[in-house]
Amino acid sequence: MRFVKNKHFILLTVTVAILIIIGLSARKNSKINTVSNVVTVALSPFQEFINYLGDRVEGAAKYFQDIEALSQENEALKVRISELEKEVKELSDYREKNKELKEALNIKDQFSDVEFLGANIIAKDMGNWFHTFTIDRGIADGVTVDSAVITKDGLVGRVISTDLFTSKVITIIDEDSTVSARVSKTRDLVFVKGDLQLKNQGLCRLDNIFPDMDIAVGDTIETSGLGGIYPKGIIIGKVKEVRRKTNDLNRYAIIEPAVDFKRLEEVFVLESKNNKDNYEKVGEDNK
Amino acid sequence: MRAKPVRVKIISYAALIFIIALIQSTVLESISIFNIKPNLLLIFIISVALLGSNIEGAVTGFLCGLTQDMLSGRVIGFYALLGLYLGLGIALINKRLYKENVLVAIFTTFVSSIIYEFAVYFFVNVFKGSLELIFPFRYIILPEAVYNSAVSIVIFLIVLKINHWSEELERLSRRY
Repeated sequence: MRFVKNKHFILLTVTVAILIIIGLSARKNSKINTVSNVVTVALSPFQEFINYLGDRVEGAAKYFQDIEALSQENEALKVRISELEKEVKELSDYREKNKELKEALNIKDQFSDVEFLGANIIAKDMGNWFHTFTIDRGIADGVTVDSAVITKDGLVGRVISTDLFTSKVITIIDEDSTVSARVSKTRDLVFVKGDLQLKNQGLCRLDNIFPDMDIAVGDTIETSGLGGIYPKGIIIGKVKEVRRKTNDLNRYAIIEPAVDFKRLEEVFVLESKNNKDNYEKVGEDNK
Repeated sequence: MRAKPVRVKIISYAALIFIIALIQSTVLESISIFNIKPNLLLIFIISVALLGSNIEGAVTGFLCGLTQDMLSGRVIGFYALLGLYLGLGIALINKRLYKENVLVAIFTTFVSSIIYEFAVYFFVNVFKGSLELIFPFRYIILPEAVYNSAVSIVIFLIVLKINHWSEELERLSRRY
């Protein structure tokens, strides 16, 4: 009987110890999280290798299928290039003009002091509840917690924790993610949230729609820049559907993100160039 | 000489955890059905706990959970604690089961997956005030439990083989 009691005591002690560790590591930038380096540093080369192999296998399989499609696409693209070149010429004029005007008005560009850090996705979340992934850039590359992560199409998410050579990124379709956003057309402030039910379809939801707000299917949603994590003006996605719960006062919308989360391979981490020591600042987006 | 069988078990379990964690975090996405992937580490905990002692179950559960925490968790210790109790719980009841039967392993995996994933969902969402039961059960927990049960055949047989191997070694070492 004494043994049984002894075992219970050990179990209780271990449980309490783990609970304390959970509590401590839940804090932002907690030192305890550095222990995860033990596993991430050891596994990341293997993950990278498997990822590389997967890409090669996929590439080889595609190679033979694609030849015909590629030559057709090539023709179409050549035409498109000439069209675009014309447009670029026009736009570069506008850029110059825009620059002059901005300088005259002294508007600070949120992208001007930001550095783009390319990264590969090397691992996905292990379970079915969350939508996070691991990238092959870490503290050693200058990644900091709460940096925005994007692709050429739009917003992906933000960095939630960093290890030596890897970082974990939470996507905007994860349930724990909230992004302060604007409707591009009307400049109304809204929130884009992840949702467990929509996550598997790669969608997220838009909340905080006021009754008098003009929102329709196809409207573009972009980041608002409020909260200090995501820079202003990054495309999030388009409104796919506006749903009402009980009446017009209680509406929410389904957003189709510009990024295809199922086929995500490479991303960019946005690191600010000058205020790297500023990363402990907690934004309101981070709740 | 006497410690060798135990050492064989520890080394092979450690290697298995390493390989499973690697597979779980990389290529498993490509074999997901209805966007649901099996939880190999969970199946491994269940298999080991079903065949081993209380300590074995608890320690393996803890270490598998810790690996998951480090690789893809938000906090350190959450999955470790759940894994610890899962491993211990199954190891405590395994004396009442005919444990080397694959069907028993499949059934245990099915039931434990449901309990475990409900626990994960509950503890993650309990403070957010939005606990739903039907959607997560119907679309995440149940498919995962079914998938886990199917995959458990493979992992259980591997763990069973390791167990037989270390028992064999133990018998050999006792003879001398």
